[in-house]
Amino acid sequence: MGSYWFEKTYKTIQSFSKHPLFGYVMFGIVLLLALFLNSFELLSRSITTALILTTIYATVALGFSLLLGYGGLASLGTAGFVGLGTYLVGHFSGTQDYPFIVSLLIALGVAIVIGLIVGFISLRIEGLYLAIITLGLAEILKEIFKSFEAFTGGNNGLSFRDFDLLGIEMSPLATNVLIVVAFIAVIVMTHNIINSPTGRALLAMKNSTTAAQSMGIGLLKYRLLAFVLSTVYAVFGGLLYMLNQQFSQPTTWSLDFSLNILAAVIVGGAQSIAGIILGTFLIFGLDLAVLQKIPFFVANPNATWIVNGALIILVIMFYPGGLIRLFKNLHASFITQCKKLKKKWSVYRYGEERH
Amino acid sequence: MLLDLTILIGVMGLIYGLLNFFWIRKLERKDKAGRIVRNVMITLIILIGFVMAIREMTLHMFLQVVFLNLTGLCVLALATTGIVLIFRTSVTTNFAQGMMAAFGAYAGANLVLSMTEKTEIPIIYVLFIAMGVAAFVSFLIGLFVDVVIIRNGKNITPVGKQMITMGLVLMLLGLIPLVYGTLPISIQAFSYEPKIISFGENSWLLPGKSLILPGHNFYTLIISVVMIGALFLALKFTKWGLGVRATASNETVASMMGVNTRLITAMSWAIAGAFGGVAAFLYASEGGSLSASYMVPIQVDAFLSSVLGGFSTFGGPIVGAILINLFKSVASFFSSVWANVIVYTLVLVIVLFKPFGLFGKKLSKKV
Repeated sequence: MGSYWFEKTYKTIQSFSKHPLFGYVMFGIVLLLALFLNSFELLSRSITTALILTTIYATVALGFSLLLGYGGLASLGTAGFVGLGTYLVGHFSGTQDYPFIVSLLIALGVAIVIGLIVGFISLRIEGLYLAIITLGLAEILKEIFKSFEAFTGGNNGLSFRDFDLLGIEMSPLATNVLIVVAFIAVIVMTHNIINSPTGRALLAMKNSTTAAQSMGIGLLKYRLLAFVLSTVYAVFGGLLYMLNQQFSQPTTWSLDFSLNILAAVIVGGAQSIAGIILGTFLIFGLDLAVLQKIPFFVANPNATWIVNGALIILVIMFYPGGLIRLFKNLHASFITQCKKLKKKWSVYRYGEERH
Repeated sequence: MLLDLTILIGVMGLIYGLLNFFWIRKLERKDKAGRIVRNVMITLIILIGFVMAIREMTLHMFLQVVFLNLTGLCVLALATTGIVLIFRTSVTTNFAQGMMAAFGAYAGANLVLSMTEKTEIPIIYVLFIAMGVAAFVSFLIGLFVDVVIIRNGKNITPVGKQMITMGLVLMLLGLIPLVYGTLPISIQAFSYEPKIISFGENSWLLPGKSLILPGHNFYTLIISVVMIGALFLALKFTKWGLGVRATASNETVASMMGVNTRLITAMSWAIAGAFGGVAAFLYASEGGSLSASYMVPIQVDAFLSSVLGGFSTFGGPIVGAILINLFKSVASFFSSVWANVIVYTLVLVIVLFKPFGLFGKKLSKKV
């Protein structure tokens, strides 16, 4: 009887572990565990802060990868959109005292409108010019952050205090748990988008718009969809950033933030979720958790950018699929080596095979 | 003023829509006719906008504002020239142009600091020597980037190359504080004595008034006119210029015809770097100090002016640079806080009407 139950649970666990989303959910559970370890003071505070910030950046990077890895559209407006998210929640839930849900809905609405506008622009202006135009848009947003003082607090920045979700007062730990849960939800959503007809249509468009159009894929619909999704992710990331950091100022949302997100997506591998998470942890997590403790990098905080820049160049030149492909290649070569060794051993053990 | 401009653009858009609906779309060669009408409309919008602005702020004030912003204009033109030179030869938009230039300008500024402490040479010679050094350092960086990175990435897509230059931006942003320290370096202007241009009572332009031209702006104007003029003459009349134009139109065919495209591309990167270095030095010298990311706004403007003028010509982007600077001068007269937002939005609207720029041509794409 006992062994039967054991076998049944074992089989259910096995079927769970083969589910494509299993890895992502486990990743979320590990992140949550790290948070709880921190609340029992078993893990240092700086490491959990780094983890949470990195998950927020990974949310933004996932949206950017839908654009770059699947749509093939290079955009440099990320920083502006993330900054917009921080100011929207900071203004409506902080200064104006609306409930959090209301400001979330407002932020999503604004994100959809801006995504539509940029999408329409991208239909007229393509390729290399698009990066320049989106850079111009980000500059416009940054100027607005600086100058529209009633809304953003100008150069002094905007601070945000504790908020309540559906009547529950959120402590810092609860906020962090919320961020991790939101991150996992975003991953699941991205996974579903990538593996749906929409994702395949985007990929077809990336390789050749003409070929995609002649196969019946509407350029208008999918371009707009890619930009709307990417902008929604970025604004949502900004929202989470404001909940966690409780402060936002215009200088944070400049060109180097967009470039770092770009670095994360390129270095990890623009077309795989695991790759993007790996890239974000390499670019942001390593810097926040490890490098900021080494004396050289404490004295020169910008020196990590040299590493990031060099990583972008090296990966584009020698590993266009991203570092995640390195792991796959290593795995494959490991297996071939194992097979060779096994053959050698069998030759040694049983003698040469005769045909 | 802003309301007037919005009404002007709206009316022009309405007229274009009506014309298109009732006349152009029924013509046989509607593409060509539509293009001509769009060109005329945009020219009209720009001209009427300027006339309205000048009427509001008087011609004297307008010229004075332009004179005061002359350094910005020249620096923008120099930076834009560098970006276009690189775009034409290696088909990528070099996002690291501003950073390469800032690196060179830092070297020049450090030289000025050490030379004014140790020697008794007049400051104007020191500044000219330092400008040469800045140009040379940026020249070397440009050469290095092409020979080491871009040349080895022939098979990378244009967007991939663009991302490599973005990686370069990050590298240089980190490298500058490491090499030169994190504090901003101060640097003198070429001249602090303003030149006063007076008009006589009977002059046809501005009778009885005078304009002030800051001394530094005078030097900047001369240096940049000489440099850009020399570049255009070289493009037109030298063997290198012929090579550049051949490479720009088709790299593979050019190399088959015996053009040394590797040398041409490397020299274009280096010369673009030198132009950037001079621009960065002149700009820093006007502002009085330089820090790691001070060229970023200039670079954003330079890109927008290249897009506005059209990347597929050499002269268009310079006209774009002049236009953007004039827009900025006028807009900052009316509202200094929102000047950038107004100008960028205006450029965006124009580019939406003409995606390949004011002077650009549509490149046909093979499938």
